[in-house]
Amino acid sequence: MALEDEGNNLRAEEMLLNVGPQHPSTHGVFRLVVKLDGEMIVESEPVIGYLHRGTEKLAEDLQYTQIIPYTDRLDYIGAMLNNYALCHTIETALDLEIPERAEYIRVIVMELNRIGSHLLAVGSYLLDLGAMSPFLYVFQERERIVQMLNQISGARLTYNYIRVGGVRLDAPPGWLDEVREFVPFMKEKVKMYDNLITGNEIFLARTKGIGVYDTETALAHSLSGINLRCTGFQWDLRRKRPYSVYDRLDFEIPVGKNGDCFDRYYLHLLEMEQSLRIIEQAVEQIPESGPVMGKVPKMIRVPKGEYYTGIEGTKGELGFYIVGDGKDKPYRMKIRRPSFVNLQLLPKLLKGENIANLIAILGAIDIVLGEVDA
Amino acid sequence: MSDEQQQSQSPEDQSNTVKPAAPAKPAAPAKPAAAAKPKKEAPPPDPRALEAKKTADLVKQDIVEKFGDSVVLDTEAALFTPMLRIDAKAWLKVIDYVRTHQNWMLNYLVLMAGTDYPDYIEVEVRIQSTHLGHMIGFKTRTDGRDNATLPSLVSIHPGVNWEEREIYDLLGVTFTGHPDLRRIMMWEGFQGHPLRKDYNPWD
Amino acid sequence: MFWYWDTHPLQWSSALAMIIGGVVVLFLSLGVVAYAIYGQRKFLGWIQGRIGPNRLGPFGLFQTIADIVKLLIKEDIVPDQADRLIFLLAPIIAYAPAFMVLAVIPFSAHHVFTANLGIGLLYYVALTAITIHGVMLGAWASNNKYALIGGMRSAAQMISYEIPLGMSLVGVILMAGSLNLNTIVSAQQHGWWFIVPQFLGFCIFVVASTAELNRTPFDLPEAESELVAGYHVEYSGFRMAFFMLTEYTYLFAMSGLVATLFLGGWSGPFLPGWLWFAIKVTAYILFQFWVQGTLPRMRQDQVMSFSWKVLLPLAMLNLVLTAVIKGFFM
Repeated sequence: MALEDEGNNLRAEEMLLNVGPQHPSTHGVFRLVVKLDGEMIVESEPVIGYLHRGTEKLAEDLQYTQIIPYTDRLDYIGAMLNNYALCHTIETALDLEIPERAEYIRVIVMELNRIGSHLLAVGSYLLDLGAMSPFLYVFQERERIVQMLNQISGARLTYNYIRVGGVRLDAPPGWLDEVREFVPFMKEKVKMYDNLITGNEIFLARTKGIGVYDTETALAHSLSGINLRCTGFQWDLRRKRPYSVYDRLDFEIPVGKNGDCFDRYYLHLLEMEQSLRIIEQAVEQIPESGPVMGKVPKMIRVPKGEYYTGIEGTKGELGFYIVGDGKDKPYRMKIRRPSFVNLQLLPKLLKGENIANLIAILGAIDIVLGEVDA
Repeated sequence: MSDEQQQSQSPEDQSNTVKPAAPAKPAAPAKPAAAAKPKKEAPPPDPRALEAKKTADLVKQDIVEKFGDSVVLDTEAALFTPMLRIDAKAWLKVIDYVRTHQNWMLNYLVLMAGTDYPDYIEVEVRIQSTHLGHMIGFKTRTDGRDNATLPSLVSIHPGVNWEEREIYDLLGVTFTGHPDLRRIMMWEGFQGHPLRKDYNPWD
Repeated sequence: MFWYWDTHPLQWSSALAMIIGGVVVLFLSLGVVAYAIYGQRKFLGWIQGRIGPNRLGPFGLFQTIADIVKLLIKEDIVPDQADRLIFLLAPIIAYAPAFMVLAVIPFSAHHVFTANLGIGLLYYVALTAITIHGVMLGAWASNNKYALIGGMRSAAQMISYEIPLGMSLVGVILMAGSLNLNTIVSAQQHGWWFIVPQFLGFCIFVVASTAELNRTPFDLPEAESELVAGYHVEYSGFRMAFFMLTEYTYLFAMSGLVATLFLGGWSGPFLPGWLWFAIKVTAYILFQFWVQGTLPRMRQDQVMSFSWKVLLPLAMLNLVLTAVIKGFFM
């Protein structure tokens, strides 16, 4: 080991550590080059692009309805919300009317998907920290959610269900009753996770006071979603720029207090509770029957101009920016991806940190590589 | 499937349908209650679009007061969002000015997107004000497509760091003043800019 | 009963009998290790709501054997720049002490393979310290800076927790009046098992032994494979199996020690001694698996400060209390 130089003095050089593309945590193909000085991180640099599939370029060659399956693969854990974000932009551009039953079904499936995504975030965060059991417990609840979504859309992960003007198919008979029964079941499970994890001393020691930032930093870095709300700032697009039928539903926006990793974890649990409230109300308010697809032109042509709408995705503000030119294919489609923007703060958060906290901070930012790379 | 079914009998009967909510409203008056749905002939301009154009003009006024007339090249309403086109040389100054201007307080940058046009590359930015609640868009064009450069916004909105890198990587716009302008999606040493319309992968 | 040198001088037949005895204990410990690994996978699976291995053999009982055979037939890779001799010796240096301590642990009332060592407990603690050398040498000889860091951390943790471990045992020694493990077992047959008067010592011992074994929640040196790398990153095939064998044999030895010191060893009503011993050892091993399936990992700096600032003072408090109570009230 050449730790001594010619003068026989101990050389304490900085070590370059590669947290390689194959990552044991379930975040995906993501590389983090870390410069270490002993135990302290001096500098770090995320390297992304391993999962870049050129969705934006492909979209320039596809008709609008053909793009919807591609959007499933962005944040593949919350695919319904990606579908909805694209359809919402197109519907706003064309000023379409959506039938009420379709809107309520959309809200129900989106919130179910949000619960599934938060469950996975909690489970994989704990797996990173060393507790391997909650990761397997979340899959049991996710299995119920995924089966319900399978019944209504035909797929378990990439749904391609929400279409321009409504949804693809109406809910099969009995589906709404299943959703109605799911809500109290899941409420109990959220309490179970709270009991199991939140008070654990080791978990608290590893997450409290780690990776703290304040609202000013968060807003300057364009953070959104849980990463912004953990600092105590109330900003949820379902309230600030209401879309769909959220303005008829009564729910709260939980915010954190300290802006640390523990708050980010805890907000996942609280948001699951609120999503369950939303589903409960939506199942009560949904019209008994009705069409699920509005009046949509046979060939969707977005008129000339630029259109952007953002929705509250599972990880933050998910938005589609479409430059239309009157043809049936977009001239340019840009996807505003929350994980991409949220990940920019990582080098700043890691500076000066102990290397053991790297996993805790990276897990709390909660990225999905499909979304980071598009 | 039911994509031919008429939802409302008349444009004014809103009981059975839900209009998609409009994006952010300007700071001035409240959302109009039920905008008339245009049907067949040349529809009257949507009042929301008119509001947006008015707001854009107000912003233009404030900017022109400070920086002079040549800075704002155009104002329009991109589907109910006020949109201003700024000269490329004043890009950084204008965005900084509206960030702290008391009427606008545009502090939360939501979107940065680049689009490739035949003669220029256009970069659009949409900024939200978390205090006042409105969202305003700004766009700028580069001078041609070879050696396209723009000032970088990283010094005032650190959150666009990677967005600018992405635009540099995929569209070829160099941002002067960017602390770390490297390719982000493609690997180092990649030639070409994939998102351009004339990009040929077989080169 | 015991073999005393003054009545039975060493002859070829006695030497042969001892060698056979050693081989029998070796196979016994290998069997325990194999089924501890199987038990861990099954038990953790049940905690996590899934079935463990169940394909190979009835209820998956042959799973470990298949894994061992797989490890045996792998290619033997030694890194080019590694220090070859030490690289090959390190697993042996790690394993041998973990196996040697089994000689003093009394498995049953008839002491067939147990040495009646007057300083049994001291022998145990001294030998387990040598395992740490194996870890450090393996880390150094791998010529891999990540293995080195992981190995150093593991060694630091094991050394730090040796001290509370040793101190928590002193209370038991005071109560039994001897270092001989057989005497300690017989001392427990007349009164309470030492877990009752020495409850604080027992808790300290459980925590310290979990850290010694590099098990969750103290397994950052091993799970460091996520981030840096554990000390056995360059080892593959059979040598890796050696390190795994060390870990589980050490687990068996630690469980045997807990059973002997705190739970009364082989004593118990109705059932034969070895069966009671087996039950107590199994209970402790399952307890370790239960903790592994439940708790997250502690951070390395928290682990160190916990040992020196919390466990060591508690162990010394236990020592003082035991001495005072024994001195003045008994």
